[in-house]
Amino acid sequence: MKEISELILPDDLRYAEDHEWARVEGDRVRVGLDDYAQDQLGDIVFVELPQPGDTFEKGQEFATVESVKAVVECYLPVSGEIVAVNKQLEDSPELMNESSYGDGWMVEVNPKDLSEMDTLMTSTENLERLKGAE
Amino acid sequence: MAHARANKKWFFTELPVIDYGEAWDLQVRLVAERKKGVINTDIVLLLEHPPVFTLGRRGGIENLTVSKEFLEKEGVSVIQVERGGNITFHGPGQLVVYPIVNLQDARLSVTDYVEDLEEVMIRVAADWEVIAERNPINRGVWVDLKKLGSIGIAVRREISFHGMALNVNLSLTPFSWINPCGLEGIAVTSLEQELGQKVSMDQVRQRVKHHLETVFGVELVPKSLSGLRA
Repeated sequence: MKEISELILPDDLRYAEDHEWARVEGDRVRVGLDDYAQDQLGDIVFVELPQPGDTFEKGQEFATVESVKAVVECYLPVSGEIVAVNKQLEDSPELMNESSYGDGWMVEVNPKDLSEMDTLMTSTENLERLKGAE
Repeated sequence: MAHARANKKWFFTELPVIDYGEAWDLQVRLVAERKKGVINTDIVLLLEHPPVFTLGRRGGIENLTVSKEFLEKEGVSVIQVERGGNITFHGPGQLVVYPIVNLQDARLSVTDYVEDLEEVMIRVAADWEVIAERNPINRGVWVDLKKLGSIGIAVRREISFHGMALNVNLSLTPFSWINPCGLEGIAVTSLEQELGQKVSMDQVRQRVKHHLETVFGVELVPKSLSGLRA
């Protein structure tokens, strides 16, 4: 596993406790798994995504990712309706490892309340709490 | 491989043969309590199940090669669960190990954790002079092209549950009713089958305990079920 100091946690994203990231893009919020999660999981071989139109509350399970015989649950960082899913992940789940903040994004959400973004951690806050867990 | 962490303890609870659904409920409760901090220590459950087939998150019912009517007649149910992996069988004589571990606190990657579970089974088999190995075909441990032990885990809010199953002295017949792990043309074996003589489950339980301690670098502290929350 990477050392905490080696983790890439871009400043323009917000982070949830279970390692999902969220980025405001226009009136949508794009969501994926952060560098810590992809590194901890190892090679991702399968991603189960929701359908556009599905709605979730903040913190509800919206997807699962599978690596070596392990299924990991993912929780939506903001409440809202799924408006897009990254279909590329069906055939290329490894994008979540290779480009966790880029082509490896998971879903886009039409957020119910954009102020929920403020409840998520900044890059610095995420790093600090991960250091605390060392 | 070993993750030595000084003074690290895991609670350890041995159960007899326990119904799959009951053990599943128990795990889900313990995961929630571990997350909330009601239980502040990682836990490992050692147990056996009555005969049951389970399917992984991605299914595996297509790898059942007998009819549901046949299974009903045999009294074996099929349960869909959230772990990784495909279809498998559990039955008395197979030692099931369910560690409930906070992977983030342990600084363990999922890959390392799975490899550590494999290592425990490899070392236990070696105690009986059975050479078990990893195989790129599929995770778990193998004796040549025969599967001796399987792995399937789920991670919920950093807490890992489900775990591993080592074939000790169970009837292997039900494995012939499926393509184990979703693979065709593989066989399943047990310690007893490999040795051609009786193997004591009690002794295997003791050695699994020992190797969990050495591989994960922890001390196992025996607790009753009710004692886990005390």
